[in-house]
Amino acid sequence: MTDLPKAALEAVSLAHSYGATRVLDNLSFSVAPGEIYALLGGNGAGKSTTLSLFLGLITPTNGTLRVWDHDVAADPKAAREQLAYVPESVAFYQQLSARENIDYLLTIAKAPDLSRATIDGALDAVGLARDAWDRRVGGFSKGMRQKVAIALAVARKVPVLLLDEPTSGLDPRATAEFNQLLQTTRERGVATLMVTHDLLSAAEIADRIGFLSNGRIEQEQAASGAERFDVRTLHQRYVHAGVSADEAA
Amino acid sequence: MRISLIGRVAREEMRALLRSRVALTAGFILAALIVTATLLSVEQRNAISTARAGYQASSDEAFDAQPNRHPHRMVHYGQYVFRPLSALAFFDPGVDAYTGNTVFLEGHRQNSANFAEARQSSLLLRFGQLTPAFVLQTLAPLLIIFLAFASVARERESGTLRLLLAQGLRPGELIGGKALAHLGVAAAVGLPAAIALIIAVAVGLTPPLASLLLVLAYGLYLAIWAVGSVLASSVTARGRDALTVLMSVWMVTVVLLPRSLPEVAAARIDIPTRIETDVSIARELKSIGDSHNPDDPHFAAFKAQTLAKYGVATADELPVQWRGLVGMEGERLTSVLFDRHASEAFAREQSQNDLVRLFGAISPVISLRQASMTLAGTDVESHQDFLGQVERFRYTFVQALNLMQVQQIPNLNAGEDPRIAAHNWQTLPSFTYVAPDTLALGAGRLALNIGILALWLAVLAGLCVPAARRLGKVSQ
Repeated sequence: MTDLPKAALEAVSLAHSYGATRVLDNLSFSVAPGEIYALLGGNGAGKSTTLSLFLGLITPTNGTLRVWDHDVAADPKAAREQLAYVPESVAFYQQLSARENIDYLLTIAKAPDLSRATIDGALDAVGLARDAWDRRVGGFSKGMRQKVAIALAVARKVPVLLLDEPTSGLDPRATAEFNQLLQTTRERGVATLMVTHDLLSAAEIADRIGFLSNGRIEQEQAASGAERFDVRTLHQRYVHAGVSADEAA
Repeated sequence: MRISLIGRVAREEMRALLRSRVALTAGFILAALIVTATLLSVEQRNAISTARAGYQASSDEAFDAQPNRHPHRMVHYGQYVFRPLSALAFFDPGVDAYTGNTVFLEGHRQNSANFAEARQSSLLLRFGQLTPAFVLQTLAPLLIIFLAFASVARERESGTLRLLLAQGLRPGELIGGKALAHLGVAAAVGLPAAIALIIAVAVGLTPPLASLLLVLAYGLYLAIWAVGSVLASSVTARGRDALTVLMSVWMVTVVLLPRSLPEVAAARIDIPTRIETDVSIARELKSIGDSHNPDDPHFAAFKAQTLAKYGVATADELPVQWRGLVGMEGERLTSVLFDRHASEAFAREQSQNDLVRLFGAISPVISLRQASMTLAGTDVESHQDFLGQVERFRYTFVQALNLMQVQQIPNLNAGEDPRIAAHNWQTLPSFTYVAPDTLALGAGRLALNIGILALWLAVLAGLCVPAARRLGKVSQ
């Protein structure tokens, strides 16, 4: 990752509508290499739409998206090659083992290095127990599947990670393990955009938090000091940004 | 389209199928069924063939062993002929079970299989025997549907579709890979039957080109189901929706249409029954001429011509037997009528079948069955060819006996029980069935039916393009 771009991910004046419904309206934010950015918002705020736009699955009505300096609209293939995506419900091929899943998806992604050593190194890096590597993913917990998903990103050596509600459904211990995993990827210089409802987890791991409401970032706060974020203040901002207290809990 | 990715998707689909016990078990059962059907069919075909050859030999022997008789008695003693089965009848017996294969040949009549079975024989798509054709036409699509209905829908339902697309896979590549895998399944389904045909060709039992075209036709048919199932899986929201759609299509195109269309054709294009035909022929014969009526204009003219030919004034003065000559003329007249009525019945059967064939455009199984029976030499046209050969032989056989009467029975004072020597019967030729060149006989129909199958496959493959676009959109 030499010649790092200033922004690993960048959305500029982004707008998107589904028919007459405007979901995103003048959304702008960026994520630097090695930074974890948490995008918080309620249901229908446009979080998943933002991820789909970065993935190139849909085209914005207006605005520009860049992934590692590649314009998603102009060169979606190059942009996609720079990122890995972990959906909320981490789906893998249940009949395949962790190794086989990564091998298959690396091939699909046209990854340059498909060696067994790369796959094993990635599984080792995310802390998946060795005895699970050759077990069918069908029997894995969500936390284990997330580790496989991150291992896929590690094996692909992508500089950008997109996470959709990564801690949803995880118990506190698994959440802590997952956050530790993100800490590791951050140390590798990976830029992470996570969209989430989970304020506490975001506060624990994110470098910056943006509150998405009315299709744009209503408020943004960066971590500072030992405590990083004042959760109570964050909660207030979350609620005022148009998210109900229930959703923020 | 990146071929390597299509291949990899196909490989993973195959791996998933191979790891599914249900899929393996179902595949094994179908393969066992095809092998069993093939073995049973070969056995049955050989048994029937041997039996018919045996019956033919005994019938010929019995005819040749007849004692001294009046030739006209031999005309009514008649002869039986049996239709030998084609080599590929083991694969697809076609209409054989419904048309009858034994014809009793005698003078003044055209018996059995011709008109009496016409209604039944035109309903050529009834079936039920466990043959390779039945298993491949009816049961194999079920296995293909069962294995492919969830191929793409499962990816969408489980969330792996989004994961794949996020890795850069194009929807078209996914559908292409799934289709490739299930084409492989279709090939595996057809493989036991293809091996059986290859063995049959290798041992010289079946003609190579017809066997190869059978493999092609069935390959196209199974490919249609494979691509169609993947297509349905791509355009429906859930796997179970795809299954419902595919099962409905199977029931309509494989079960309902092939059974109901011949009934519709029979209702729309009527074929006279045997009794109606006999009455009609008798009526027409009466109008042509009555040999027993001295005032009948046709036979009066025939008599005048004959007397002039021999230069005599009365029939009694003829050097040959007058009654025999009248018999020959009568046979000639009835034969013309038989031919015309048979041609009319064949034409009506043809119209019925043409109507059914039209629907090959909406049910590939109809096209396949037509192509399969044509190649196996067991279609209606092959049966009609047999009947044509039989009628030509019957006419020659009866007229040869009539000629014996003309030449060997005295015209006058022949006595109370005139007979000719028994060795005469052995001079008459036996019926030898010349199997038609099925490819030449049905070239047009074959090209049409295989063309329809190829068109079906091309259209379904073409529909995968918009399906891929749609899949890309719904995955958003």
